[in-house]
Amino acid sequence: MDSIIIIISVFILLGSFFILVSAIGILRFKDLYGRLHATTKATSFGILLLIIGVSLFFNDITVYTKAFLIVFFVYLTAPLAAHSITKSFFQKNKKTKT
Amino acid sequence: MKLLKLLYYIPEFLVFYLIKLLQSNFQMAYIILSPKMNTTAEFIEFPLEVKSSAGLLLLTNLVSMTPGTLSADISNDKKILLIHALLMSNDQNTVGEIESIQKRILRLTN
Amino acid sequence: MIATIPETVLYIAFAFLMLAMIITLVRLLKGPSINDQIAAMDLIASIIIGLVLVYSVLINNAMYFDITVILSLVSFIGTIAISTYLSQKNG
Repeated sequence: MDSIIIIISVFILLGSFFILVSAIGILRFKDLYGRLHATTKATSFGILLLIIGVSLFFNDITVYTKAFLIVFFVYLTAPLAAHSITKSFFQKNKKTKT
Repeated sequence: MKLLKLLYYIPEFLVFYLIKLLQSNFQMAYIILSPKMNTTAEFIEFPLEVKSSAGLLLLTNLVSMTPGTLSADISNDKKILLIHALLMSNDQNTVGEIESIQKRILRLTN
Repeated sequence: MIATIPETVLYIAFAFLMLAMIITLVRLLKGPSINDQIAAMDLIASIIIGLVLVYSVLINNAMYFDITVILSLVSFIGTIAISTYLSQKNG
């Protein structure tokens, strides 16, 4: 009874901490690629931890299904978004060079 | 027989993915929170052997999630993957790691 | 729901997320190129997902999970749309 509260609290705090880390990263990195490193990795990991914590809190089969769906979407789409941002950045640089 | 192999490879792949994920995130947090971020960023060109689109999706996804690398672009004929590496102090190490990932994906998709 | 989480934990999580939101807004306003601004918008969508999740624990309502599913899809489509538009305009 008591230990589950501690586990959920640790998951929620760590998740929001990783999202904060990624926000600090987007401010501190010098170039676009470093910023994308921060947003791709740390943000999706933070959301993963938050979702694990919240679905442990509700402890219901529909919530677990939705949680699996969200994790699947986030992990499928985060690298794709970074990829498409870099692609548009490349084409802009190509145009300004020539 | 093939199904049996898949039954072994898929959980092994998931465990591998999870370990990489934890490692890369703690490394990322260490880099960001250290007072001076001494990163030496550079691009690497990596020759691709995976041909199927599902394998390519898995490979780029995993490269983005491994420590210090981000998949940036695929050439039009699907032969070269452009990778942005954040820490270039261990060049050979990074390429070897991505090659081991590619071997796993080839084993999984064929 | 098995137990109630102490509210202090949730408020600390809210504080982390709001701080992250403020920092990202600085990058959104400052961003040298438009690509940085797109990355910042993507991060803001993720922060809002986190806020909705923590809020659903605070008010003890599991229905808020649906919002999260929709937000994660819509933010992805928005990012892809803007960057595709930019690369077609430049290319």
